[in-house]
Amino acid sequence: MPIEMSAYKCTNCGQLHHPAHFVCVKCGGREFEPIPLDEEATLVTYTRVYNLPEGYMKPFISFGIARFNNGLCIAGQLETEHPAAGMKLRATVGTVKEGIGQDYLGLIFHAID
Amino acid sequence: MREVGIVGVGHTKFGKSGVPFGHLLSLAAVEALDDAGIIPGEGHGVDQVIVASMGAGMINRQHGVASALVDSLNLRPAMAETVENGPASGASAVKLAFMAIASGMADVALVVGGEMMRVVSGWEATDFVATMLHPEAEYNYGLTLPALAGMFTRLCMEKYGIAETDLARVAVKNHANAMHNPVAHIQLVPDLAAITTDEDALIINPYVAEPLHVYDVCPVSDGSAALVLCALDIAARFKHKPIKIAGIGQATDTHAVAERAVPTDLLAVRLAAAKAYAMAGLQPEDVDVAELHDAFAILEIVEAEEVGFFPRGQGHLAVRSGATEIGGKIPINTSGGLKAKGHPLGATGVSQLVELTRQLRGEAGGRQVVGAKTGLAVNFGGFGNNVVATILTKGEE
Repeated sequence: MPIEMSAYKCTNCGQLHHPAHFVCVKCGGREFEPIPLDEEATLVTYTRVYNLPEGYMKPFISFGIARFNNGLCIAGQLETEHPAAGMKLRATVGTVKEGIGQDYLGLIFHAID
Repeated sequence: MREVGIVGVGHTKFGKSGVPFGHLLSLAAVEALDDAGIIPGEGHGVDQVIVASMGAGMINRQHGVASALVDSLNLRPAMAETVENGPASGASAVKLAFMAIASGMADVALVVGGEMMRVVSGWEATDFVATMLHPEAEYNYGLTLPALAGMFTRLCMEKYGIAETDLARVAVKNHANAMHNPVAHIQLVPDLAAITTDEDALIINPYVAEPLHVYDVCPVSDGSAALVLCALDIAARFKHKPIKIAGIGQATDTHAVAERAVPTDLLAVRLAAAKAYAMAGLQPEDVDVAELHDAFAILEIVEAEEVGFFPRGQGHLAVRSGATEIGGKIPINTSGGLKAKGHPLGATGVSQLVELTRQLRGEAGGRQVVGAKTGLAVNFGGFGNNVVATILTKGEE
């Protein structure tokens, strides 16, 4: 079964959130249900970072913020050689950080050929 | 509410400290006490001490720093607290000291901001600073402050036509200002062509987080800065005529940067400045000199727009025209800014107000803005999710 990333939908007004909030930004509701994110998104902005924090044994990592069809903008790692604002991306879930005794999962965006 | 002013300033040279953290804080503190004419010991009159530091516990393995400082300075039994509010810790500490005096709970307060970050490696420091980001949506991905700044910069460049050379112009200006500031970390003025268009520019000015280069990013610095605040109704006790804290505003924004409705806005800067102007009864055009939180060059440009100095999208044009240089329409970061003076996180907000106080006293030497009477500081926490704006004014002669 594939691992999914979720948006969090307020059960009172339907407002979507990511990351999770404790109180709905629209109506103040406090109950949410997870909604799987679409696989497709659009790249809004991006960067390639060369001075990485502790724990990353790579020369650089690319990051992007992508807009999903439901309107949510979410940051993730970006795995494409030639990023451009407006390009279509496929959102996958993978290991974004290898921790001691625990790996962290998150969104990894790929270009759609 | 009682009016509050600044009657003492102290500042260590930013850079790499060779002394223990507590000693570093004490150096700026005693300079500020001396500047105010306060003699520690019995009858010192300091009611409240507040220390601003983001990393004392995490990097220096020291908690309860304010309590230790009070004892070291022989200021017992003053009230003491340590404040952590990310890179805005300094201005937050000043705000809290202001509130203590304005409420009548204290007459005199000492605020000391300090950080000693260069005891750890660069990647440990980068990781430590990144812990203020959203843990699940940002930090766990490896996102850092430079990464968020890089993505923000690209959006602003695409929307407003800002060029990489415009960012470098901010750096060159601030480095030039720092040459007149003996406490600045970096005493060097880069050549604009050498870091932008020359053949080997990418070698001496490589990318940190595209499109940001090394010269678009502040250094990692140790340092401390201190202020003595007092109620204006008792200011005659002190050596210096007070510089009034005329307005303070603070505002917050989304923790996860990607959630912001307009990704090129720094909404908390706009709201904090608006509150500070309203409290002071002043307008952007009343400001003579400003210290804006330029941890990344793009921030000076956009903050200058958000506080009302220039219309949105025209901050980079102001940089090109020289309007933000000393002698220009509104000199920004006369101290050298975070870019060249350095950015010891907890010290920065206090340091900005030390610079404005020196400007309004007329003590800024080769970087003096002639006739400056009103100064604005913006201290920027997180990637703009907690911002404090402070306005200082000089009283009538």
